[in-house]
Amino acid sequence: MKYINRRTLLGTLFALAFIGLTTPALAQSEVTISHYFTGELGLKAFGEQMEKFEAATSYKMKNSPVGHEDFKTDILVRASGNSLPDVFSYWAGARVQFIADSESLKPIDQMWNQAGLDKIVAKTVADSATMYNGKRFLVPFNYHYSGMFYNTKVMADAGITEMPTDWNGFLALCKELKSNGITPIALGSKNRWPAQFWFDYLLLRSAGPDYRAQLMAGKASYDDPQVKQAMGMWKALVDAGYFIESANANTWTDASDQVARGDAAMTLMGTWITGYWNGLGLVPGADYDFFPFPSIMAGVPSASVGPVDGLVIGANTTNPKGAEEFLKFMVSDTGVQAAWSKAQGALSANVNVDASNYNSVMLKAFETVKNSDAFAFNYDLATPPPVAEVGLSMFARFMDDPSRVDEIMKQTAQDVAGAFKE
Amino acid sequence: MRGPSWSPRNKAGMERDRRFWRIVLLTPPLLVFAVLIVWPLLSSFYYSFTNWNGFSSNYQFVGLSNFQKIWTDRLFFQATINTIIWMVSALLLPTLLGLVLALLLDSKVRGRKFFKTIFYLPICLSAIVVGQIWIWIYQPNWGLLNTLIEEITGDRFRYAWLAKPDSALFSVIIAWSWQQTGLSMVIYLAGLTAIPSEILESSASEGATTWKRIWYIIIPLLVSSTTVVIALSLINSLKGFDILYVMTGGGPFNSSDTLAMHMYNESFKKYLIGYGSSISVVLFLIALIIIGIYFRQLRKVDQIYG
Repeated sequence: MKYINRRTLLGTLFALAFIGLTTPALAQSEVTISHYFTGELGLKAFGEQMEKFEAATSYKMKNSPVGHEDFKTDILVRASGNSLPDVFSYWAGARVQFIADSESLKPIDQMWNQAGLDKIVAKTVADSATMYNGKRFLVPFNYHYSGMFYNTKVMADAGITEMPTDWNGFLALCKELKSNGITPIALGSKNRWPAQFWFDYLLLRSAGPDYRAQLMAGKASYDDPQVKQAMGMWKALVDAGYFIESANANTWTDASDQVARGDAAMTLMGTWITGYWNGLGLVPGADYDFFPFPSIMAGVPSASVGPVDGLVIGANTTNPKGAEEFLKFMVSDTGVQAAWSKAQGALSANVNVDASNYNSVMLKAFETVKNSDAFAFNYDLATPPPVAEVGLSMFARFMDDPSRVDEIMKQTAQDVAGAFKE
Repeated sequence: MRGPSWSPRNKAGMERDRRFWRIVLLTPPLLVFAVLIVWPLLSSFYYSFTNWNGFSSNYQFVGLSNFQKIWTDRLFFQATINTIIWMVSALLLPTLLGLVLALLLDSKVRGRKFFKTIFYLPICLSAIVVGQIWIWIYQPNWGLLNTLIEEITGDRFRYAWLAKPDSALFSVIIAWSWQQTGLSMVIYLAGLTAIPSEILESSASEGATTWKRIWYIIIPLLVSSTTVVIALSLINSLKGFDILYVMTGGGPFNSSDTLAMHMYNESFKKYLIGYGSSISVVLFLIALIIIGIYFRQLRKVDQIYG
């Protein structure tokens, strides 16, 4: 048997160390990225947009996508190991605030100003989603709107031609559907977050955006009459049998399928449902449509709810120039933005994207947001993560047994107060 | 052909070479062990005394306050009770079911080889796959279990096993036991082959009933197999995080949280790494105590049965 002698071994180790030391220099043309666009359509479309960036510049993208829910954990693990990628996707709002507070992000003010992104990014989105602690950290990639998506055929079969605009009209619609033997509302709250839109809209429409902002910031209590009123309206809907059975056993796609099949008439969901339904072969406008969540109190400003998907740069990026180039390209290039919003069922963050790129339903969503008085992030992006965890569990607990709403809210008020102290 | 030269100088050189290679070959696994096991363990202890959120490099030492918080955390107590239920069930169910199956299959049942294979198969699947299979079984609208109940009773049955706080944990325990029973069965079957047939035959000829033979002869002679089964079940139950994560994620609303799941949620969903680390320290100490008790009992068994 032939032995490797010590000189050969040490020589090999030195050679490997040399390669390791020289690799960062070679990696200057490489931009590492991690993102959560891992749905079948999203993954493919995001890859295509990255290819466009590579073709337009000298940079190469090193891509590591992670599933939507796992991404929340994965990015924390990478941050704690000080190994964040150069660029990563993230949800604007409290989550970006949380990592901006932790000084894990690189500010992009200079790049933003030089690229003139003020003229490119929709103002409502830029105002709410990009600034944290007085600095700009996030480039919006797309945004979504949450509305009441319904099966047009189910509504037509029940003789409903006009969609409600106020609460009494909505209650009458639910009653009419139920009397026709149709479950009015599908909800898939197994992963908890789909239930948040109900809380968001009921509170926004009854107590208004200012009160909600206070609640999200810990300056109001879950024991307040405003919250009790919103939960009371939600309870009345569940008690009347307007929600589908076992909501906590279903995911949002299960609920979407129930509406698509006609097992339920409508579901309160984000515009990403259009991407899902289009993938199933449903035709926007013909097979499905949406109406905005009805108004509840007169005089309360109308707010639209939804998330903004953004791109941020890790504070310790080894390739800041490449990372900034990527962010700039992805929001500025109208071809990228149009293709991406179409594939993802999202609204473009770029104001120069031609509205003709949207189908009829997305165009309506775009107009609804544009005409809203305010744009609010959905619950788990509007309040800090430890508080959001408490609230999301509260929604699922409520859906399991609405009769215990008072006890649930009392406990939530206590837990939230504790979470804000963390 | 000349043989090797055995001069003292050569011998010393070879010894030096051997020592060198021992170090070279041992270093990689020791490094891996140190980096993946020892370092994270020590880090957990360290972070349990801080308020680190996982992102920020600015965190403070908070002394024992994370451990004090544990006493006022109602979810921690719920998770502790669930952990006890999980461990006791995950220990008893596969052990008892495995023993019963082994006793049945050790007799001259037709097709026992086939049944042995069938019962052993689940252990070859990953916990993620097992979890997914049982999610389908428990699905309220078209799952196998509810369909079966509907067929038997003739009534509509739509119970959401994994979405109800009263049944979620037990539903996962059943899925877990279904997988683990095959392992206990195989170990008991091996143990049964070691029992001398003369003892069983003579006890039968002296009028001992089947039940008496099982209780007074077979079970005591299976003590070494039971030791192995309990050791494996204990270790596996302590590791049993993945199936719970897949099937309920600790839900609905924390009702099936075990300590490991609670630690995960606090650390990675609420971003309270400091507090999560203190839970992991408590979990580590509990595991240490259980394993200590187990080894003590093992010594006693060794002393009695040699």
